[in-house]
Amino acid sequence: MSRAGGAALVVLALAAGLALRGARLDERPMHHDEANQAVKFGDLLERGTYRYDFHDHHGPTLYYLTLPSAWLAGRHTLASLDEVTLRRVPVFFGAATILLLPLLSSALGRTATGLAAVLMALSPAMVFYSRMFIQEALFACFTLAFVLAVGRIAVGGSLGPWISAGAAAGLAIATKETAAIVLPVAVLACAIAWWTAAPERRPHPFTQGRWVRPASIGVAVALAIAALFYSSFMAAPGAILEPLRGTSTYLARGIEPASHAHRWDYYVRLLAWSSSGGLRWSEGLILLLAGVGAATSFARGPALPPDRIFWTRYLACYLALATVVFSAIPYKTPWNLLPFYVAAFPLAGAGFAALLAGTPGRALRGALVAAVAVGSLQLGWQARRAAVVYAADPRNPYVYAQTVPDAVRMAARIRELAAMHPDGAAMQVSVIASPYEQWPLPWYLRSMPNVGYWTSPGDPVAMRAPVVVTSIDHTPGLDTAFGDRYVSEFYGLRPDVLEALYVERGLWDRFLARQAK
Amino acid sequence: VQWVQIDLGASHPIYAILAWHYHSQARIYHDVVVQISDDPAFKSGVTTVFNNDHDNSSKLGQGQQKEYIEVAEGKLFDAKGAKGRYVRLSSKGNTTNDLNHYVEVEVYGLPK
Repeated sequence: MSRAGGAALVVLALAAGLALRGARLDERPMHHDEANQAVKFGDLLERGTYRYDFHDHHGPTLYYLTLPSAWLAGRHTLASLDEVTLRRVPVFFGAATILLLPLLSSALGRTATGLAAVLMALSPAMVFYSRMFIQEALFACFTLAFVLAVGRIAVGGSLGPWISAGAAAGLAIATKETAAIVLPVAVLACAIAWWTAAPERRPHPFTQGRWVRPASIGVAVALAIAALFYSSFMAAPGAILEPLRGTSTYLARGIEPASHAHRWDYYVRLLAWSSSGGLRWSEGLILLLAGVGAATSFARGPALPPDRIFWTRYLACYLALATVVFSAIPYKTPWNLLPFYVAAFPLAGAGFAALLAGTPGRALRGALVAAVAVGSLQLGWQARRAAVVYAADPRNPYVYAQTVPDAVRMAARIRELAAMHPDGAAMQVSVIASPYEQWPLPWYLRSMPNVGYWTSPGDPVAMRAPVVVTSIDHTPGLDTAFGDRYVSEFYGLRPDVLEALYVERGLWDRFLARQAK
Repeated sequence: VQWVQIDLGASHPIYAILAWHYHSQARIYHDVVVQISDDPAFKSGVTTVFNNDHDNSSKLGQGQQKEYIEVAEGKLFDAKGAKGRYVRLSSKGNTTNDLNHYVEVEVYGLPK
């Protein structure tokens, strides 16, 4: 493929990727994890301060890197934020991840990297999780950047790749604690590929002692970046070591999860095939081509360029090792697949290039290109269906513990009721539920300053509010306590999670009278 | 609002209507209204057996009954011998999505 053709393919992929990732960003209700990040970001935006909390939060990059988006939109308070302002940050990093792939064009060829970019742009998983205001799209981007930089060090890079690897590692560490998995796995995969793939390679700087200075600089860059973020840019230097204090929490959660425990083959099944309620999904084309790409790096046959053998073997080892490690951890959420799945795309591109090179005759090669083009379009169709049409539908396999539209209706009802109350938006609202059953309400009620949260009923302050939201478990007690003084209605928060909304009868009657007009 | 309607072929006194919307997940179907009439368009002679549309958003009258969670045993509506040829069950989405499922509806009445 010509240089212009390769560039055109990448531009096309970027355009398609941005279109899919950026379409109708405000329609899917905020997932409770997104809402949690959004409220945490609201603190940083309003007060200019951030403190890392190792108990239940990931790293700080998402919050700091969202500041430019909020400033650009002219938002300076939590109440003024909206879904688009927040979600376009992971969209940006999802697109940036696509743009990392052409860095491999000299090693894998322009055909391979061009198709890799197209497949990543159209992958339903990559699209869907690049539209969520969580750490994963950023983490996947930094992880792939680290993987590529480490590979460039191995093939003889000097200071530049070391600094790139350090910067990517620092950002990955400052994004998510699973950096402790993917960074060592990438180094291990690189070492395996180096030792097995190219014994005839030229001597590496490692063997000549010229690596100490650039390596030291790379490590220093990584530590400096991670330290700057965790210490809130040195506002809280003591927080630099906080991630280490969270190790036991994350180990316990990973090994013995109270929730989110899934079978070992969860990630592979999610990508390979799923079917529910008449909807079928598969990213089998990417997995198949990645398998071919991995096989070519180990197969004996016509001599391939050493760089290509090294890179495909390195990516295959990284993909296999990281998949095994993440699959072995009982705690699983679907977006956790991104940091290892990103390696499947350059492998798939290499697999396609190998198939194309090994196919005799122009007609057969044309048929192969046509088949992959149709498969890619079908992936894009699935991605749009996942990200827009069925974005909150439980039949969509990428949807996970998703807030249902009913929760948004409940929040709208509360705001309508507040408009009928003398205190207006300052009306007291009591939410009595476990933390898991409270989110994402703090996001949807962010413009109301007097919303209080309790985990159990009984506090007289909570019980005197004109509007009370409660988990379904508390309704027998509240029915008795409120009697005829309150009217109740029910709403869904997530599948299988129901909440009751109690409204003081006088306020309800005024609301109904206004509705009737 | 969507509805399903059952034609009994002739007018009969009806004593019980049993309905299942869903049974594999805790869900509440919104604005459930159960009516009996001899008019297939339900414009005249309508007896409302059950109505929990408490804000009258479906415009079928303000309901007084409480919302209920779907269970495997179904929901029994006491028709109290109301006479009619047609039974109509309306609802407006549920707590998980906007769909109105009907697994089964049973109507118990006396033959002529």
